[in-house]
Amino acid sequence: MTAFVDTITPILPEVIVTLTACVVLVADGLMTRERARLLLPAITVAGLVLAFLGGPLAPASGQYFGGFVQVDTFTAFFRAVFILLAVFATLVAPSYLERRGIPGAEYYATLCFSTVGAMTIALSTDLITLFVGLELMTIPIYVLAGMQRRDRFANEAALKYFLLGAFSSALLVYGFAWLYGVTGSTRYLDIATELQRIGLANGPTIVALALVTVGLGFKAAVVPFHQWTPDAYDGAPTPATAFMSVGPKAAAFAAILRVLVIALAPLSVDWTTVFAVLAAVTMTGGNIVALVQTNAKRMLAYSSIAHTGYILAAVAASATAGASATAAVLFYVFAYGVMNLGAFACLLYFDVEGSRGATLEELNGFGRRHPLGAFAFFVFLISLTGIPPTVGFVAKVFVILPVLDAGYAWLAVLIALNAVLAAFYYLRVVVHMYMYDPETGAPMVLRTRLLSTALGISAVATIVLGVLPNSLYEWALQAAAPLLP
Amino acid sequence: MTIDHILTLLLVVPAVGLLPLYVFRGDVRAVKQVAVVTTLVELVLSVVMLSQFKVGEAGFQLVDEAAWLPSLGIRYLVGVDGISVLLVPMTTLLTFIAVLYSSGGSIKDRLAGFMASFLVLEIGMVGVFVSLDLFLFYVMFELMLVPMYLIIGIWGGPRRIYSTLKFVIFTLAGSLLMLVAIVAVWLASGDEGSRTLSLTELLTNRGRFSAEFQFWVFLAFGLAFAIKLPMVPFHTWLPDAHVEAPTAGSIILAGVLLKAGGYGFLRFALPLFPVGTQLWLPVIIVLSVIAILYGAAVSTVQKDLKKLVAYSSVAHMGFVTLGIFVLNAQGAVGAVLQMLNHGFVTGALFLFVGIQYERTHRRLIADLGGLANRWPLYTTFFAVFVFASLGLPGLNGFVGEFLVLLGTFKFSGVPLGGLFWGPVAALGVILAAVYMLWMLQRVMYGPVREAYRALPDLSPLEVACAVPLLVLTVLLGVFPQPAIDIIEPSLEQVLRLATDPGFQLALR
Repeated sequence: MTAFVDTITPILPEVIVTLTACVVLVADGLMTRERARLLLPAITVAGLVLAFLGGPLAPASGQYFGGFVQVDTFTAFFRAVFILLAVFATLVAPSYLERRGIPGAEYYATLCFSTVGAMTIALSTDLITLFVGLELMTIPIYVLAGMQRRDRFANEAALKYFLLGAFSSALLVYGFAWLYGVTGSTRYLDIATELQRIGLANGPTIVALALVTVGLGFKAAVVPFHQWTPDAYDGAPTPATAFMSVGPKAAAFAAILRVLVIALAPLSVDWTTVFAVLAAVTMTGGNIVALVQTNAKRMLAYSSIAHTGYILAAVAASATAGASATAAVLFYVFAYGVMNLGAFACLLYFDVEGSRGATLEELNGFGRRHPLGAFAFFVFLISLTGIPPTVGFVAKVFVILPVLDAGYAWLAVLIALNAVLAAFYYLRVVVHMYMYDPETGAPMVLRTRLLSTALGISAVATIVLGVLPNSLYEWALQAAAPLLP
Repeated sequence: MTIDHILTLLLVVPAVGLLPLYVFRGDVRAVKQVAVVTTLVELVLSVVMLSQFKVGEAGFQLVDEAAWLPSLGIRYLVGVDGISVLLVPMTTLLTFIAVLYSSGGSIKDRLAGFMASFLVLEIGMVGVFVSLDLFLFYVMFELMLVPMYLIIGIWGGPRRIYSTLKFVIFTLAGSLLMLVAIVAVWLASGDEGSRTLSLTELLTNRGRFSAEFQFWVFLAFGLAFAIKLPMVPFHTWLPDAHVEAPTAGSIILAGVLLKAGGYGFLRFALPLFPVGTQLWLPVIIVLSVIAILYGAAVSTVQKDLKKLVAYSSVAHMGFVTLGIFVLNAQGAVGAVLQMLNHGFVTGALFLFVGIQYERTHRRLIADLGGLANRWPLYTTFFAVFVFASLGLPGLNGFVGEFLVLLGTFKFSGVPLGGLFWGPVAALGVILAAVYMLWMLQRVMYGPVREAYRALPDLSPLEVACAVPLLVLTVLLGVFPQPAIDIIEPSLEQVLRLATDPGFQLALR
């Protein structure tokens, strides 16, 4: 028994989240609909909080399960991020699910399963663990996207996401196979040692590198592998979109850091420039297309691609700039999670009869109709633009820092110019919220207390972390430490 | 009376005012009272701050500091010297006047939000002038942006949305490039673990900045400041923003926001990057003179009263950059005085244009006329400010422009020499007399329109807003020496840093 407990303890948070998902599913069958509506989200949040408490915040590095799993500060950081995002996605969901007739238990359970998958990615020391985690994270999201079975946009979203997701997984696993073929191992450290021994990259390693890059690029929505994003984000239920836009992206970057910075470190000469170019293309492409969107949900979808570009820039700098670059990735992922989830969740206010995802016109006069909700949205938009005193601004500074340090001055300037582009479309939303009056007969906005509370907390967090970013940055630095050679 | 941590207090007071503003947001009377009282307290505190300042010392005083981002060596560091110590009370005075005037009833919609924007704006403006850490400076510089964006966009005129987006996009384009440059400065400021952004430490480490580095970093800083100032050819946002902004917004925009650009040059760009200064100096001087002439010429042909004042700001700011970049004491003192004077005078001009607009609902010069007979009080005030703006001796506008021209004549470090650019710039003063007097004549004199006969003269509240500005306009015009005594020692230090012979050698 003690042996069992000892085995389980390191991955206790993952176990608790899994159990939560199971409990939710079982509990749903045992209670009345009325009671389930209130209790299921409560159980989910309680389980997630318990999971958060179940793991140390700064664990000593250790490998478990025969070297398939590693728990370190990096793991702990991402665990906290994923749990936080899942809690948020749970809190904003109930009234939406009820209105749309989406079964609550299934939503919460799939969300938990996806969270476990994401957490598993952060645990991985081996390509196999990584792949299991990736699939465990994505498959529930295909389900989440298509949960409104009778909505044709949701069907389109789910199918697109599934087909491209499956395609990219195939590429990725093929890349893993090549890596295994070249190095004879699936463990990151062994791969790195073997690549080091081989020396200069040869044909097969380049093929492996390319396939892995493309596969992970799909997961993180890097241009030109991003085409699934807008439709999937747009068609999925809005609370699920909020989670989809941040959870899998954060997980993809956890995977990118683990695989590229550890396993493929000897090839950094080859991937660094590629990533710098991909970053440039991604941020510019995402922003330019976001400029012409007239629907807030699609606009946020494209802008999330642009944010991928900023994070990618820090990844590109990681080989030269070291800890400050990986810490920048972690900090940005955290900041992006808070603000982007908040921004998507703000669209829930407009989820009323006859509306599908808030056109800019529907946002007119939001500032009058719901002052606090509008103010929260305003804070998220300012933060996404990167204007102080918000966490989004600090995150941009932390990204520019290693990028310049690594000598990519052009990329740093491009980040700045892109932020100007982004300002245009983010602030246009503010224009609609505050500077136009509501049209006569404009639909009412919803008033749900839970949503407003969740948004209020994250808006306050956006500002507080923007004014006092030090502890979060230190934590990110600490979490980046295991990635250093 | 001495108050400890007074600069920090100045940054906190407006933030404290936000809370009651939110609590009483539904009650118009209470909102007005809270906003007026908060800005008044801030004004009084800034005067106390000025009284605590020791005149004649060049270094930073009343310094306050705390750790902020220790992992990057970034500190919360505030302090004032002769250059900034007068700009802070100017800011608080203009904010107080803007808020006081707006409490008179010119803003009818969402007053609490309007006042809150001004309080946040005030934190940013005071912060810009007291920050001694580049990171803090940047945060404050940007903090000014969002409230002004809302002020123009929500409470502005018919084309407010176009104007406010233009204003924000222009400003952001400059400031984000400056952000990249700030990060570059941080990286170059020392070895890993000892990097810093605090001005005093950067000044001792500036030997590490190579000539090429300074060229680019100065360009980035310069762009941000040039857009804010604004210098020709980056001025196109200014007329639009001014025309659409509500009166209080225009007062602050012209009175304070533009100064952040000129101040940024003096505080950071010149002393930190002497080589960059030398390299870019000819360009800036030529652009300044162009701004003076172009601003004046364009003002002359304006049909819209507010646009005329806006373009005259472009010309006046040309004197500021000219004075700064001739790199001698006369020019620089003139530039700082010009910043102060322009704050009071142009702030006042926008106030009076606003008062007039509120009564007549006309801004086109052709639609106005003959108001002098109906509004004796208004005309008197307005005429004094117009005269000050065109640089009449005895009023403050003259002092700054005269010193700048004096400095320019003496300066030889530019192609064609100061004896060419000085007289050319002086033409701008003549043109200023042309457009200002012609405007005054058309607006105030001539036959009065029937519709305007019944309109009342200044109200007591409006007089209360105008009197402090009038007093300062006359006082600084007749007796500028105390102000010069405050400004000069610090400026001389900045100029010594900017013209350090060691760096001149590096240039050759």
